[in-house]
Amino acid sequence: MMRRFFAPLLAAGLLAGAAAHAEDTLSPLKFQSEGAFGSIDLAAAQRGFAVYQGVCASCHGMGALHYRDLQALGFTAEQVAGIAASVKLADGSAATPDSHFKEPAPVNMGGATPPDLSSIVAQRPGGTRYIYNFLTGFGPAPAGITLLPGHNYNAAFPGGQVSMPDVLRDNAVTYADGTKATKAQEAADVAEFLTWASDPNLSARHAVGLRAVIFFAFLTIVAVLTKRRIWRQEG
Amino acid sequence: MQMEAKQGWLASRVPGLGCVCGLMKEGRAPGVCWIAALPALLGALLAVLLASGAVITVYYNPWHAYASLQGITREVRGGWLVLSYHQVGASLAFALLYLHLFRILLVRGYRAPAEFAWMLWVKLLALLLLTGWLGFVLNGGEGGYSSLFNTSNAATTLSGFPGAVAMWFLGGQPGGSTLARLLVFHVLLALCAVWVILMARAAARKARPMLQGRVVPFWPVYAAQYFAALSALALLFALLLGFAPHWGQGTQNAIPAAAMAVPSISYPWYLTPLAGLAGVFPSVTGHIWAVVAAVALLYALPWLDRSKGAPPGRVYKLLTWLLALDVLALGLFTACPIGPMLPELLTFWFFFHFLVLTPLVTMMEAA
Repeated sequence: MMRRFFAPLLAAGLLAGAAAHAEDTLSPLKFQSEGAFGSIDLAAAQRGFAVYQGVCASCHGMGALHYRDLQALGFTAEQVAGIAASVKLADGSAATPDSHFKEPAPVNMGGATPPDLSSIVAQRPGGTRYIYNFLTGFGPAPAGITLLPGHNYNAAFPGGQVSMPDVLRDNAVTYADGTKATKAQEAADVAEFLTWASDPNLSARHAVGLRAVIFFAFLTIVAVLTKRRIWRQEG
Repeated sequence: MQMEAKQGWLASRVPGLGCVCGLMKEGRAPGVCWIAALPALLGALLAVLLASGAVITVYYNPWHAYASLQGITREVRGGWLVLSYHQVGASLAFALLYLHLFRILLVRGYRAPAEFAWMLWVKLLALLLLTGWLGFVLNGGEGGYSSLFNTSNAATTLSGFPGAVAMWFLGGQPGGSTLARLLVFHVLLALCAVWVILMARAAARKARPMLQGRVVPFWPVYAAQYFAALSALALLFALLLGFAPHWGQGTQNAIPAAAMAVPSISYPWYLTPLAGLAGVFPSVTGHIWAVVAAVALLYALPWLDRSKGAPPGRVYKLLTWLLALDVLALGLFTACPIGPMLPELLTFWFFFHFLVLTPLVTMMEAA
């Protein structure tokens, strides 16, 4: 079923000469999921999951997802079973593909709690790009800004001060597909993964929408012509 | 059996259905603009809303509102599509109703003998606004929860009959049982809206002037026009569904409700003009009365108009366009505030238009 939706999109993507995987999507920054014809970049989202699992998951949960949902990213059932089996739940047992993503132990960052990331792209103005800008926006505070205790400067965060530390660094994870794990690459990949998590039906929605728009555009033209013809005969 | 004979057979057994068949043969004045098809399109959207709403209600859990909607999006096969039908359908239904009301205002279609139809359209607006607000609350998001929290707090300060009605409607402090109650009202009011739109269309048909001169049949002349309009609406629907399903909704209500107040509630676009108008008045009780007053003014329009059948003049038309811009601006500047006094001024103009300008200008133009 999904292949039927993706096939025309893939064809459209090839025609438009859109990016295959190994291309540089960081300069200038572009996300395959952006725009009216956007679809999830599955390779980037797989890498983004690796970043989430290796870095983000120690503080942020994604309670709305199951491990089996990862099959939509192109992981095989065996790979998903392997991913789940490597996760040790709070009661000591290993997760199964039907388990929800593991909830991390509660963290208190000076009064702030790390938000659940299941729908974070839908919950923040700017969506995917905001996530990327946030993750790459840490730095030393400019002159004139006094940080609150336990806070870090982040140019993208509203107010500029956030409890979360700068966690991404070069080679924080090792990518299975051999992509160089720079900090910016990790941020872009995890932003694509979180975009998929927030809207798992993004690709299908665009495919369905495109077909429906083409169909109704033709139907409208035919209906208007028919109406004109009838009105000419009757009028 | 001939078509006529079939209809006669049906009409003698099921008078209501015979009536519907009769509409197909109904004579009409030639050359009526497509915009007269708006109520029919609105009816089609209500049907979409009812059908998608029925599916959503099956999976919706008021005690875990946010999580159950996430479940519909993520776990139910095709659930995300049905949810989008409901969202886009609501958006477009409001757009068409606002457009229809504006058109009636512009041509002064609210005057006798169509005043009863006008009052029914205003009732439909009130019903849809309330249903739309309930839908916003039922999402279980941060914005909806805050809005419900404020409203139920204000309701506890009301006394007497309004207080009793509010208490009965909201059932006390917000929680799962409140949402379960509001779900029932959401569905009931939506069914009422279907009934009101049927009544309004019947009343509008009765108020149409007597046909003079050449008459054309509904089928196929106007059927073709309605079909073209419906197809264009479907195109717009598909565009929103595929590429902008959350248009005008904001990101606030995508965050699950927590028992914490949000500094400012961002409403869906179709509620923002009214929210802006209400927000000008002090206290939540004031907000509630402001909303009631705004809708009541629309309802009273046939009496505020003193023109006694004179055709709309230039000044009146200009003022009606200004009112439309005023309402649009009120929505825009409530969603993205830029100045301190702007919502106050725009709200003042809204009431000034109906209470002072309308009686004055219509009286002057009729003289």
